[in-house]
Amino acid sequence: MTRPTHPPRPDEDRREFSEEAASLWRITFAPVVWAGHFVLCYGIVSLACIRGLMPIAATRAGLVAISVAALVAIGWLGWRSFRQWDTAPDRAANVGETEGRHAFLGHAAFLLSIISAIGVVFVTLPLLLIGDCR
Amino acid sequence: MRGCDGTLWPSLPCSRFLLSSSALLALSSCGGRQSALSPAGEDAAAIGTLFWVTLAIAVVLFIAMNALFVFAIRTRTFTLDPETARWILVLGGIVLPTVVVGGLLVWGLSLLPDQRQPGDGLRVRVVAEQWWWRVEYFPEGAEEPIVSANEIRFPAGQRTELVLGSDDVIHSLWIPALGGKMDMFPGRETFISLRPTEPGIYRGQCAEFCGASHAWMAFEAVVMEPDAFDAWLAAEAEDAAEPVEGAAARGRDLFLAEGCGACHAIRGTDAIGQVGPDLTHVGSRESLGAGRLGVTLDDFATWIAHTDDLKPEVEMPAYDHLTDAELADLAAYLGGLE
Ligand code: HEC
Ligand SMILES: [Cu+2]
Repeated sequence: MTRPTHPPRPDEDRREFSEEAASLWRITFAPVVWAGHFVLCYGIVSLACIRGLMPIAATRAGLVAISVAALVAIGWLGWRSFRQWDTAPDRAANVGETEGRHAFLGHAAFLLSIISAIGVVFVTLPLLLIGDCR
Repeated sequence: MRGCDGTLWPSLPCSRFLLSSSALLALSSCGGRQSALSPAGEDAAAIGTLFWVTLAIAVVLFIAMNALFVFAIRTRTFTLDPETARWILVLGGIVLPTVVVGGLLVWGLSLLPDQRQPGDGLRVRVVAEQWWWRVEYFPEGAEEPIVSANEIRFPAGQRTELVLGSDDVIHSLWIPALGGKMDMFPGRETFISLRPTEPGIYRGQCAEFCGASHAWMAFEAVVMEPDAFDAWLAAEAEDAAEPVEGAAARGRDLFLAEGCGACHAIRGTDAIGQVGPDLTHVGSRESLGAGRLGVTLDDFATWIAHTDDLKPEVEMPAYDHLTDAELADLAAYLGGLE
C-alpha cells in the first residue's frame, strides 16, 4: 500500500473502508447460511418426528429443497469472493509475499464458502439416507 | 459362562474387562462377550466392518502423513514450484479429506436404516430403571406381555424388535456383540431391531451415565436356537413353581413376611409389587442384580443382605438383619424359581 501524499480528508476512512466493510459482511455469509441450515434441519425434523406436526416425507422434500437453495447461495458467494481474491490488485504474486487486505478478505470468504458447502452437504446426507423418523 | 472365570472374585462379571484400562487386556479377556470386535449378529457385523475399514484408512493416512513429513524435512532436495504446492494443498488438504470423511459418513448413515428394520415377529419392550431393566416379551400377535427382567433372550437368526423407554433418567441400551446402541428416554419411545446369528450368552451394558450405580447396570443377552427359545418363552409365561416343603417353602413364607412382595412380583403368589424386578423365574436367569452377581445360592444370599454395598444407592434395602439360615431359605426359594 502506498502512503497518501495529501492531507487527510474527513471521510477518507469511510471511503477507503466501505468496500472492505461489505467484504466483512460477505465473509460471514457462508458460515451463517450453514448454521441457519443446520438449525432449520434439526428444528424442523424434530417438529415433524417428535411433535408430529407434519408428515416426514414432505418435510424431507422441503428440507432437501432448502439445502439446494443454501448450496446455491453459498456457491454464488464463493464465486464472488473467488473473483475478489483472484482479481485483487493487492493479491500476492509470489510465494512469501503478503496478501493485501482486499485480496485476503476475498480469499478467506472463498475458503469459508468451501467449508460451509461441505458442512451443508454433510448435514443433508441423513435426510437423503435415513428417510424416515426411525 | 458368567464373568471371566476369575476365581478370586468369580461373581463379578467381567471384572477384568471393567477394571483394566489396557485395550490389549480388554481385547483378550472375556472372549468377546461384550465386544463389538467379535460380532455375533448381523448388525454388529456391519458395524464391525465399518470400524475395521475406518481403522485401516486411518492407519494408512497416519503412515502416509509421517512418511511425507520425513520426506519433506529429511530427504527432499528440490523446491516445489508454487503451482504444484497449491495443488498438493487443494487435493491433499481439501478434496481427499472431504471425500474420505464423506464416503465413511454415507456408508455409516446407510447402515442406520438396516438396524431399524421391522422384525420377524417377536417384539421386546425394555424399560430402564435406576439400575435395572424391565423386560416384556410380545410374541407375534400377543396383546399381553410375558413379563421378565434383567435379561433379554433372542431367537437366533430372527430379527427381534426392541421398543425402548425409561422410567427415570436417560439410559442407553447396548449389546456390543449384537449391534449398535440406542438411548432410552423417559416419556419417549425409541426403537432398534437386532438379528443375532450366533447362539451364546453376551453382555449388555447401560451406555449412558445414569447415576451412582450406572456401571453396575448391565444384563445378559442370551441368544438361543429358535426351538429352545420358544420352549424357554413358554416356561417364562408360566406362573412360579410352588414349593411344597423344606428350605424353599420356608423361604417363600419369609419372602411374604419380610414384605419383599411390596416391591417384587412373583406370579401365582400374593407378591405383586412393581417397584423392583419381576422374580417369577429369577432362578432361571444368568445373573442377579442386573449383571452384578452370578446366580448361585450364595449369590442370592449375598445380594439380599448387601444390596447397597453391591450397588450404591440402590432402591432395595439391604436385609442384613436376616440370619444366615434365613438368607439360605430365601436363596433356596428364589433359586428354585426356574
Ligand atoms: C423397596 C423395594 C424393594 C424391596 C422391599 C425388596 N426389593 Fe428386591 N429389588 C428391588 C429393586 C429396585 C431391585 C433392582 C436393583 C438393581 O439391580 O438395581 C431389586 C432386586 C432384587 C433381586 C435381583 C433380581 C434380578 O432380576 O436380578 C432379588 C433376587 C431381590 N431383589 C430379592 C428381594 C428379596 C428377597 C426381598 C425381601 C427380603 C426384596 N428383594 C425386597 C426393590 C426391592
Ligand atoms: Cu442406566
